[in-house]
Amino acid sequence: MADVATRPAAPPDFSKVSLGALRRYYVGEFAASAANNLAYRGAVAIWVVTTVIQPMVSIVVWRTVAGPGGEVSGFNASEFVTYFAVTMLVEHLTFIWLMWEFEWRIRTGAMSPLLLRPIHPIHKDVCENLSYKLIGLVGVLPAMVLLVIGFGGDVSGIGVVQVLTFLPALVLAMAVRFLLEWVLALSAFWVTKTSALNNLYFALFLFLSGSFAPLAVLPEAVRTLAYVSPFPWIVSFPVELALGRRTGAEVWVGYLAQVGWVLVALVLLRVVWRRAVRVYSAVGS
Amino acid sequence: MTGGRVGADWTSGPRVAPGEGGLAGLVRHDLRILRTYLSLGVLNLVQYRSDFVLSVVNAVITLATQVLGLSVIFSRTTDLAGWGVYDLLVLIGVHFLIGGVLGLVVRPSMEAMMEGIRLGTFDFTLVKPADSQLLASVQVVRPQALVDVLVGLGVVVFGVTRVQASLSVVDVVLSLLTLLCGLVVVYSFILALSTMAFWFVRLDNVLVIFQSLFGEAGRWPVTIFPGWLRIVLTFAVPVAFAVTVPSEALTGRLSLTSALSAAGLALLFFAASRWFWFFALRRYTGASA
Amino acid sequence: MSAITVDRLHKTYLVPEREGGLRAAVGALVRRRRREVHAVTDVGFTIEPGEVVGFLGPNGAGKTTTLKMLSGLLHPTSGTASVLGHVPWERDRRYLGQMALIMGQRNQLQWDIPVLDSYRLNQAVFRIPDADFKARVAELSELLALEELLRKPVRNLSLGERMKCEIAGSLLHAPQVLFLDEPTIGLDVAMQRRIRSFVAEYNRRTGACVMLTSHYMADVEALCRRVIVIHHGRLLFDGALEELVHRFAGDKTINVELADEHPLDPATLGALVDGRAVERSATGFSVRVPKAETPRVAARLLAGLPVSDLVIEEPPIESVIEQVFEATSVEVDGG
Repeated sequence: MADVATRPAAPPDFSKVSLGALRRYYVGEFAASAANNLAYRGAVAIWVVTTVIQPMVSIVVWRTVAGPGGEVSGFNASEFVTYFAVTMLVEHLTFIWLMWEFEWRIRTGAMSPLLLRPIHPIHKDVCENLSYKLIGLVGVLPAMVLLVIGFGGDVSGIGVVQVLTFLPALVLAMAVRFLLEWVLALSAFWVTKTSALNNLYFALFLFLSGSFAPLAVLPEAVRTLAYVSPFPWIVSFPVELALGRRTGAEVWVGYLAQVGWVLVALVLLRVVWRRAVRVYSAVGS
Repeated sequence: MTGGRVGADWTSGPRVAPGEGGLAGLVRHDLRILRTYLSLGVLNLVQYRSDFVLSVVNAVITLATQVLGLSVIFSRTTDLAGWGVYDLLVLIGVHFLIGGVLGLVVRPSMEAMMEGIRLGTFDFTLVKPADSQLLASVQVVRPQALVDVLVGLGVVVFGVTRVQASLSVVDVVLSLLTLLCGLVVVYSFILALSTMAFWFVRLDNVLVIFQSLFGEAGRWPVTIFPGWLRIVLTFAVPVAFAVTVPSEALTGRLSLTSALSAAGLALLFFAASRWFWFFALRRYTGASA
Repeated sequence: MSAITVDRLHKTYLVPEREGGLRAAVGALVRRRRREVHAVTDVGFTIEPGEVVGFLGPNGAGKTTTLKMLSGLLHPTSGTASVLGHVPWERDRRYLGQMALIMGQRNQLQWDIPVLDSYRLNQAVFRIPDADFKARVAELSELLALEELLRKPVRNLSLGERMKCEIAGSLLHAPQVLFLDEPTIGLDVAMQRRIRSFVAEYNRRTGACVMLTSHYMADVEALCRRVIVIHHGRLLFDGALEELVHRFAGDKTINVELADEHPLDPATLGALVDGRAVERSATGFSVRVPKAETPRVAARLLAGLPVSDLVIEEPPIESVIEQVFEATSVEVDGG
């Protein structure tokens, strides 16, 4: 057996996915990016503050529209408060910034080292994203409570069942949005300036996901358009589950739609990523 | 490299030493620097032709989003705390306008300054014989932000013609005055925020907080916010004076008290931010140690 | 009057400390450790107008801190300095208008606009009259061959071209004092030589006084008759470059060329050089010998071997400097 030790070890077979290796990678990468996020905790805190601003403004605007005692499409003032407070949590947990980062990565050549590693670059982004999300929760959760208390939100509809149905929808929403926007970020391989595309995407997202207002408030045509897009399943659906506004069969239809969009996004990811890498190597940057 | 040739005159420094010529001389110098930086920035528009097209597209998307938002809201109500739909359109225009001016020179310069502090190139600003605050504030001009300024002007004009109130000359003068005051207040505020980079080197996204507050909260009349938040948005993060007060002037609902307090606050903010700037510089150079 | 006078200059920093890793990052949330660093200790020297002085020391010796104090960017913790009759850190504009700081690793020209436009900004800032501005740009672009570059945006220039433009831009106001911090770092040899001869020419034409730090001893040898050496923030040496070599170089090198294909017997050779390490070449060898023993060893070699040529050399300046720093760090660490 002595000669076995002297023989060079066979290189790992990178063509196969090794779950063990992937798990070790995730643990290491997650710890590293968590340490990094902690070191830049000031920056993280600032991002968390900005996360609070939009829902806060929405609360103020829609509370004013509803008026004391009034109602807009089944939402009274205090229900608007809760709606946007939970929306903030979902936004924080699903939001990704890679659409801006990819442009920078490609312009500065920071993409190249990521492509040279024998592991798909998306895993690094997943780790960084998750570690940021978890650390950010330290600020976002209290902020959510403060919004609800400060503006007098109505939490009577939220119970154990609502939270339990909300959680899987939240995880699926994170997956849908991460995958879709990661694919969209790949546009930076073809287009050098992606800001217009990103802005267009976010304008659509704002209205169709339910971040600007509950979908019930929107005109009929917009709502119809929304439900053929993946956006309601990212924000509106989990939020309405938490508020107890979706029950029975609607819950299962929603989960199914989310899973469906995850699969669509995975297929897109596979196709677009291959082409993106080909474009990148052709340009040789 | 023969020394016999008559070359440039290397013996004299500046003909008038900077710092001489009294206050008038200093101001003339400052204005000349300001003019040079701004005119170069605009002249270099060609360098950014593609960015320019992009910023037109982006401005259109943003404007469309905001108008769409307004239409959704006004499909459910007829007024928002006393502001009609065209009043709010004027406010959106003012918001664009102010945002454009900030994006034209203030924000890019402040970003460059914070980057310079991190990389050490800010030292070059300090070794120049001119007002350091001025140099830091105008060092980068991003001409494509002119698009936002123009869009803002257009929307304001459109909105004002639709608003029923008729504007007198006094109203127009007051509007311009409050716009100027609003700009000064916001500039001072951004300067003070950026100045904190002397303490916290990784502060580049502190401007993001302001940008987010300005972008989200600034698009609405400050009067819709509940008491404590209104005070924050008026005095702590002075978005109100930048957008709401000029819009009030343009829609004929400005009180003289508001106009006067806008002017007073502008002076106060400017003085305070300048004091803070020099305080931070003393610390940066270790003078207080 | 001296151009630069520095007396008992002292600068202490407080720096936070943190170890790597997640645990340390969490720990740093709770308590921060700080440590005092003496960047510059008791440094004093005088520089006359027109002098070009090399400012040497390993990384972290306090060179940049000293230059920053002299250019008015940093206040010292204690001590005094006077440059052109001004206290630099009072940052009097009359002083700043006669001084230039050039840092090889940092850019001050604006990235996106043509070089000449950046120069125009400097013209406004330094209040340079139009006629002077034109004449100086013309002269500098002739000396540095900038003609082709002035109309290009800085981002399109190579590293060397950028440095040339940086230097020219910093000299438009005809500064009387120049602080050059690693002006040739990262440049190729030809560009280094060009910048070197330009600095010499500028000094000759304007009589400006120049303080230069560089890792390239060729820069120092070509430009500076005098050098100031600091190490661990303290002044080690101030004097002529030859004097530095003379004082600190313990060894000399004896280069020997042999007359014919002499079968050199290692044992014989070893005896001749007292067993010292010998570097063989195709036609001879070289050996390093303590200064005091050089004559004796040379005489023995001449007598014992068919020598065609024998040269005794001072060691290269790099190795002398290296020796200086090594010797003193042992001394400092040991004490």
